[in-house]
Amino acid sequence: MNETSNPYREIHATAAYRRLMIAYYFMVKHAAWFGKKVAWITSGGPVEPLYAMGVLPFYPENYGAMCGASRMSVSLCEAAEQRGYSRDLCSYALTDIGSNLTGKGPLGVLPKPDFLVCANNICGTVIKWYEIQARALNVPVFFLDTPFIHDEIHDHTLRYVEKQMEGYIAFLERQLKRPFSEKRFYRVGARSLTAIRLWKEIIELSKNHPAPFPAFDAFIHMAPIVTLRGTRWAVRYYRKLKKEIEKRVEQGKGAFAREEIRLIWDNIPIWYDIRNLSKMLSSRGAVLVGDTYTSAWAHEQMEGAPSLAGFARSHATIHLNLGLEYKIKKMIELVEGYGAHGFIMHSNRSCKSYSIGQYDIKREVSKATGRPGLIIEADHTDARSYAPKQVEKQIQIFLEIIREKEQS
Amino acid sequence: MTKQTSPNNIRKEIEDITSRSYRDIASVLPKDRMPIGFFCPLVPEELIHAAGALPFRLMGTSVPITHAQAHLPPYCCHLVKASLESLLQGELHFLRGIVFCQTCDSMQGLSDIWARQGIVPSQFNLMIPTHLDSEHARPYLRAEMERFKYFLESNVGKISLRKLKDSIRLFNHIRERLSEIYSLRRTLSARIPGAYFARIIRAGYWMDRIRYLELLEGLVDSLPKQTEGSDSLIPIYLTGNMAHADTYFSLIEDAGAIVVRDDLCSGARTFRLMVAEDRDPLEALTERYFQSFFCPTKYLGPQAHRDILLQEVADSKAQGVIFLLYKYCEACFFDYPDLKSALEAKGISTLLLEVEDPVQSKEQLKIRIQAFVEMLSPL
Repeated sequence: MNETSNPYREIHATAAYRRLMIAYYFMVKHAAWFGKKVAWITSGGPVEPLYAMGVLPFYPENYGAMCGASRMSVSLCEAAEQRGYSRDLCSYALTDIGSNLTGKGPLGVLPKPDFLVCANNICGTVIKWYEIQARALNVPVFFLDTPFIHDEIHDHTLRYVEKQMEGYIAFLERQLKRPFSEKRFYRVGARSLTAIRLWKEIIELSKNHPAPFPAFDAFIHMAPIVTLRGTRWAVRYYRKLKKEIEKRVEQGKGAFAREEIRLIWDNIPIWYDIRNLSKMLSSRGAVLVGDTYTSAWAHEQMEGAPSLAGFARSHATIHLNLGLEYKIKKMIELVEGYGAHGFIMHSNRSCKSYSIGQYDIKREVSKATGRPGLIIEADHTDARSYAPKQVEKQIQIFLEIIREKEQS
Repeated sequence: MTKQTSPNNIRKEIEDITSRSYRDIASVLPKDRMPIGFFCPLVPEELIHAAGALPFRLMGTSVPITHAQAHLPPYCCHLVKASLESLLQGELHFLRGIVFCQTCDSMQGLSDIWARQGIVPSQFNLMIPTHLDSEHARPYLRAEMERFKYFLESNVGKISLRKLKDSIRLFNHIRERLSEIYSLRRTLSARIPGAYFARIIRAGYWMDRIRYLELLEGLVDSLPKQTEGSDSLIPIYLTGNMAHADTYFSLIEDAGAIVVRDDLCSGARTFRLMVAEDRDPLEALTERYFQSFFCPTKYLGPQAHRDILLQEVADSKAQGVIFLLYKYCEACFFDYPDLKSALEAKGISTLLLEVEDPVQSKEQLKIRIQAFVEMLSPL
């Protein structure tokens, strides 16, 4: 298949998205001007109690993605490596450690946290990473332990996570020296659920043919659902975005003029190569219509009225805290639900919790759906572990296989 | 000392079992106990034993990796890759069950891949909490222990109170004897050279534990109680996640040093797993993980690893610390730079050895260890 142009339709809400994220980072960076405290928090951590207590969250992982996308990650990783950290460690963590050591990165000196909040529902890496930063910054850390769910969730597991959520509230009260307001938490929780529902609805609009909001757009526009979940800002923004994407559906317009091959993406994006990969795929008529990563923030277990117990359950059951059988089922649902012709899995050397098991997932999903899968090797932010030309060749051959399969 | 526990017979018996491949080992395992595999000291061997089974620890033996790549990416540690490889090559058909426990992301992933192979008839995931200084972790772990007990009773045999107390006593005695051997070896290294010592440790994870205790007692009895002048050897503290392989201990000794203490998860770290014998056994088994046990995959606070290591190194009077870490072990490599700095600030030199298959890169390791020991030796 020859490469041909395939115009991309810009999302108008992107301007609002940029303003929103600039405002967010401005506030976090200058939290003291606004009389706010700052907590560094993992991407799977419970942010709602922070907003309910008026604390601004800063997400080192989200910042790592920003460093990766702006191609600043490698030098920051190298700074951490000079301090003795192994190159084999997660490059989000190395980027954060490097930023902290050097004061360099897209934001310059990182906002100093008053405390840290770490939940191991995304990986075990974050425990060690946050221990390092707690020592380096001399701040307290709250650790939410969410046991991995290989098959079924037990009552005592839920009780354990719920009790820790209560402990989290007590920790916040101690740090902030003021009582926790259930009323305020309820409001924040309700906004969080609204934003999650909106986000879920937005990404599912790409089940339409052509896809109006492909995964490469979702990778960008997911930032508010991570960082601003629980705020009015996130709700307003996603309402605006949803309206625009729904309009595309009404008009039968996709993000790309030409959409011949629909694909699902698995794992964290290759942040420093999103643009190239998107161009390379679209020039061959291929579009990533859905993914496992951004849909992880459409918390499937988050139902009903907001409550501490509800948040405990949803945080214990996020995508990365569930076993292989769940991940296979989820991938099959995505392939079938989005009418995909195949799927691409990013074997991400920085993220073992996401990547170990992918070979089995690939086999099982292909067996169940009859759709082929491709595994490409890279790293989410460290470009040193990525061979773009080799990946391009692999994708090119993969797309040819899909075309031949569709024609036969 | 009986004939069966004379030093020569002890050595012969230990070397026999530890020289075998997994496939060959099945024929010498006790016939009356079904072997249940496990990986990690966080799994309570006492419960497995009390159910009437043989706890059999998988320790990442040297094996060419030819099948595991179909399931695992390259960035997994040797233990994970080699264990799956052994399973896929049919080396572990003798296991009647396998127990995983929550430690790192790689083991967590391995557990699910392992289950899909359907080779070992039963599998259990023991979810040891990560937050070991949380008050809420105790009732959670107690419930997990109950769940594990139920699994064993359903798949192996009834665990009576008496059997569990007997098993706890047996494993406590084993730890006490091993601890004595560690202490005696400091001055009697010629009688228990490093490679043999590593085999003594390994044998204890494979053979019948009552027989193992007899061997350890025979060994302790056979050793003289006074020193034999190995003072010229440089005392080294060995830390890491490495299960005991002959290579590392003999390389260190050949270079003129001796491991006076270690924090390996197959070694002295397990001495902290002593169980109180005067209380409800299941409660005591739960409680021990909250006393002094430390594994870098667990959380006891940001300073815990540093504080424990500094104290142990000081107590051991080691002159240098060797970090023996599996490549790709995140828990260990994240901690390493701060531990190194903390040790060096106290005037303790360190050496990092990043290893995969213990048989590989032996010569390279030899040169690095020799240089390190020479650096520590008096002029």
